[in-house]
Amino acid sequence: MNLEYTIFIDYAPTLLLGFWLTLKIVVCAIALGIPLGLFLALGKRSPFVFLSFLSTSFIEIFRNTPFIIQVFLFYYVLPFYGLRLSAEYVGILALAAFGSAYFAEIIRAGIDAVPKGQLESARAIGMTDWQSMKNIILPQTLSIVLPPLTNQTLTLIKESAILSTITVHELTMTGLMVQGETFRPFEVFIMVALLYWALNETIATIMRRFEKNINKNRNTGSTKNSSAILKQNENIR
Amino acid sequence: MTLNFLELKGLHKKFGEITALNNVSLNVSKGEVIFIIGPSGCGKSTLLRAVNWLTPPDKGEVCLEGDIVGSSSSKLTIKESKLLNSFRARMGMVFQQFNVWPHLNALENVVRAQIVVAKRNKAEAEAKALKILDEVGLSDKINEWPDNLSGGQKQRLAIARSLAMDPILMLLDEPTSALDPELVGEVLSVLRRLVNNGMTMLIVTHELGFASKFGDRIVFMDGGEIIEEGIPKKILKTPKTQRLKMFLEKLNITSFKQ
Repeated sequence: MNLEYTIFIDYAPTLLLGFWLTLKIVVCAIALGIPLGLFLALGKRSPFVFLSFLSTSFIEIFRNTPFIIQVFLFYYVLPFYGLRLSAEYVGILALAAFGSAYFAEIIRAGIDAVPKGQLESARAIGMTDWQSMKNIILPQTLSIVLPPLTNQTLTLIKESAILSTITVHELTMTGLMVQGETFRPFEVFIMVALLYWALNETIATIMRRFEKNINKNRNTGSTKNSSAILKQNENIR
Repeated sequence: MTLNFLELKGLHKKFGEITALNNVSLNVSKGEVIFIIGPSGCGKSTLLRAVNWLTPPDKGEVCLEGDIVGSSSSKLTIKESKLLNSFRARMGMVFQQFNVWPHLNALENVVRAQIVVAKRNKAEAEAKALKILDEVGLSDKINEWPDNLSGGQKQRLAIARSLAMDPILMLLDEPTSALDPELVGEVLSVLRRLVNNGMTMLIVTHELGFASKFGDRIVFMDGGEIIEEGIPKKILKTPKTQRLKMFLEKLNITSFKQ
């Protein structure tokens, strides 16, 4: 097969523009998704039945339906309720909602992995439930959840390709358009794939460093845990 | 009528089919050191955890200096649970498994609750923490992570963490049971100092030697009930009930075997 090298150069700026939009959307979706995930995780274990029911339902709905269907629902149904957003914003919302369901489950598992005595000792010394969470439980959760959170972030970046189906001009959509113009699928999609790979590899590397840093600073039981989970994840990868 | 310092009134607690507390009442005066003994599963830990409402009993009431810490007759309102937290801060609790906070170094372990719960400023909290860590013999370990401490050091750190809150009552749940035998002494010597300082204490323990030496009263529990109580010498030398006799015999036999 002959490669048309000129395509790499001619269409690089166009594809980079799509890549830039993907990056913006994903960053926004994660910035929304992780706090929402934390809220859902705490909501799920809340003593208020209503809040717990709401959080659990949200998580279960977004975890157990295809992302592409969620995107269609967001895109085609929201306008009926008077919410007219551009495709980009719909994309961010859908990604954030989808991601938050997984983030919530990861954070919940992380909270459960902290020994029960930690919460008891915090409550016994007079901390409120929230003070115990903030000062004692969540800091220990961080080192446990970092590896799976990273994994989920990488998944989210790859899922963002689905937003091309609702006319978001992100990387995949741009790739499809360039392919339509050039009829050179191999060159185009290799470039697209390389860009996704570069982004994810960069994030994975940064997070690995970050984890190592935490492990070095805190020689704790929970971080020993996390390195075990990390190894597991690497095996899966 | 003199007010009791700590009053436990008619505590009941069931875990499924198991009765952990069956109508337990106990009055404690200020400065009293009470050891709670009994076979495992007799409800002694549950009793201790009912005092600070960590395991709320199904029935009964706990009063500290005449104020209600917790009462089963009503659900806690927001104001009451705030009050409960302030009671807990003044009732230091020490656990069998230490439960020191592994993500904070020794100094921070003692400082954190002072800032968060007692609302002290950082300098004040640190000064206090340094003083108390020195008292429990950990002044050379202030920057150490809990995972690098021995069991005895962890337990002394846990005691220091409680003491920093200026407790008026200490609840100790088998403070030496998880320790290697050679480390028990260092924790007991810290406890001995507390006794000498006049701290009111409830201690669940198997250390009968320590109990008979420093206890004002020994409470023997079995099957969720207080079977017998009295001053240590009397209760250990001349037990009145068959159950306590059997319990003491068993302990003697096991210690003999060792």
